[in-house]
Amino acid sequence: MAITPMEIYKLLPKTNCKKCGEQTCMSFAFKLVNRERKLEECTPLFEEEKYARQREKLIEYLKPLEEATETGLIVKEELCVGCGNCVVVCPVHVEKDPYGCGSGLAPKTDKLILKVENGVVHVLDMDMCRRYGKNRVLCVVCRENCPTDAISFLEG
Amino acid sequence: MSGNTEYYTCAGCSCLCDDIEIDLDGENAKTVKTACRRGSNIFLEYKENRAEPAIEGRKVEFEEAIKKAQELIEKSKSLAIYGMDTIPIEAQKVAIELAEGKEAYIDNSSSYCLGDFVEMVLKKELPTATFDDVKDYAYVIFYWGVDPHNSLPRHMSRYTYYPRGKKRQRGYEEDRYLVVADIRKSHTAMLVAKNARFIQVDDDLKLVDAFIKVIDKQMPEKYADDAVRVIREMQKADFNVIMGGLGLRYGLKGNYEKFKEMINKMNEVAKVYFIPAGCHANMRGFNEVLFEKTGFVNKYSFKDGESSLDYAFFELLKNDKVDTTLIIGSDPVNSLPFEISKKLAKINTIVVDPRKSFTTQIAKVVIPSAISGVEQGGTMIRSDGVRVKVNSLFEREINDVYVLERLKEVVA
Amino acid sequence: MRFTKFLKVEVDVVVARNAFIPDNKSSKEYLENVAIAFMQEEFAKVNGFKENDVIKITSKGRSVNLKVKISDIAHEKGILIPNGIYASYLTSFDGFKRFKAEIELADGEITKPEEIIEKLKG
Repeated sequence: MAITPMEIYKLLPKTNCKKCGEQTCMSFAFKLVNRERKLEECTPLFEEEKYARQREKLIEYLKPLEEATETGLIVKEELCVGCGNCVVVCPVHVEKDPYGCGSGLAPKTDKLILKVENGVVHVLDMDMCRRYGKNRVLCVVCRENCPTDAISFLEG
Repeated sequence: MSGNTEYYTCAGCSCLCDDIEIDLDGENAKTVKTACRRGSNIFLEYKENRAEPAIEGRKVEFEEAIKKAQELIEKSKSLAIYGMDTIPIEAQKVAIELAEGKEAYIDNSSSYCLGDFVEMVLKKELPTATFDDVKDYAYVIFYWGVDPHNSLPRHMSRYTYYPRGKKRQRGYEEDRYLVVADIRKSHTAMLVAKNARFIQVDDDLKLVDAFIKVIDKQMPEKYADDAVRVIREMQKADFNVIMGGLGLRYGLKGNYEKFKEMINKMNEVAKVYFIPAGCHANMRGFNEVLFEKTGFVNKYSFKDGESSLDYAFFELLKNDKVDTTLIIGSDPVNSLPFEISKKLAKINTIVVDPRKSFTTQIAKVVIPSAISGVEQGGTMIRSDGVRVKVNSLFEREINDVYVLERLKEVVA
Repeated sequence: MRFTKFLKVEVDVVVARNAFIPDNKSSKEYLENVAIAFMQEEFAKVNGFKENDVIKITSKGRSVNLKVKISDIAHEKGILIPNGIYASYLTSFDGFKRFKAEIELADGEITKPEEIIEKLKG
């Protein structure tokens, strides 16, 4: 389930009070997804009793944000079978390790984004992923080739 | 990463991945790299749930268990040896010698698994290839009645759809065409996206018929679109492969002639190879070793000098034809139908296994052994026929070769 | 008390391997990952089953209790059970990996492998 600004907005006070420093609640919602703002910065949400239920729901909804890596890839280890599809299919891996991962074999380098260790996939270095950075590309290859949905992206 | 990394082979399934790196901490495996969930657990948890020597459920010394087993084998009038799917061929050979010396029956799980396909491949009735060839050359990758994502997790990423190869350098989206035929949308079928096709099959014989008819430019009863599309894709390349699993084996209902006809017909219009998909680590190893010796892959009777369905392990049990059975590295109480496996509780059942399997709980004698890839090495044969060397992390005196040689002492 | 408690549904059972079946048969993971019956969401809804319900599956006069798990890997009109002692208890070589069975909501707990082994010892 992707975390979307719209779903967050629905649970905010929607008063555009600007106490968080943003012009609108919608803007705050976007900044929350990007991790540029923290939920606690919406002081009315925490101070006013009438928002208690919304606050609880929001805290629950935003939990995955805490668990996700810096750049938003979530691995659910309990769903991963260690098939290695994601490791072999990653275009960055193919470029960096053509005779290791690219050929389906054990990696010949440690400079990788994903690695299977003790039977499940782990994230090593998200900086190398094409989804992020200046020249970002909408690459979903790892998630697409995981039939058990062990890999998902925060932004959907 | 140094150039002289030591790699181990995982004997978890017939993929026999030989690129597994393991960090040890004394006698424990601390980190297992690259192996799938099942394979990793074999190394990480090898000490758990180990079998102990026992006679009629009572724990005894190892020697006592050996002596009792020898006694049962010696006085047996009709012995069946079964299993061996998870042990190296060096140990399988000793088991076969034991069977020969005792004029016993010998069989492995292939008699109700993929033995018939292995036999056709060994007898050259079906054209075959290796997974290395598949990785380098295959365009259409056709999984028929098998769900490799669950039964052979690294199969697709190591050998077939995902890795790049010599003539398949552009990756799966451009250089491969995946076909999955299954009764339901398995996890493997969920990977079917752009350059791929999922065929939901209710009757495999009808799909076989569809391919035959379509090549003959006739209209089949069912699956016409699927057959036309797949044949068309196969014709785009000079190397295509069908890998058949249990779904195909049971779907064909014994009609292998029709299947062979289909493969031959396919080869009239495109180049198509067949590889048995695989299952247990060394099922094919047993088939090949027995084939070399007797000309048959399984269900063999050394007394009668031939192979027959009557000599299949499950048939012998069903018809109460044996008084003693020696089960090595296999758990028939887990895998065989209840009506058949319950017979094992009534006869002299000897189990040689590293773990407390379900069968050890009903056995007369339990002899603990070693785990392949961890405590015993040797050679195993991958489901495509390639021999893979299996190292062992630690050497143990008690392993399958040792136990079987000891049991063989009482045989002529 | 659910109305569906009294309804028996005839289903097509498919047996298949699952990557989470542990090799260690004494582990609690064995019960968690093998004593289950997968079914599609629509099928479950129509027949009154929910995730984590315990259902009784009967075939050829033998029954086991398994836990329901909703999943798309099952086929539309039936259930999928993993390879293992439960599937072997229900099946025969006449329809080894695919057979007909009846399912209904169960009264008790999921069946433990020990229970089947006791029956086997007779």
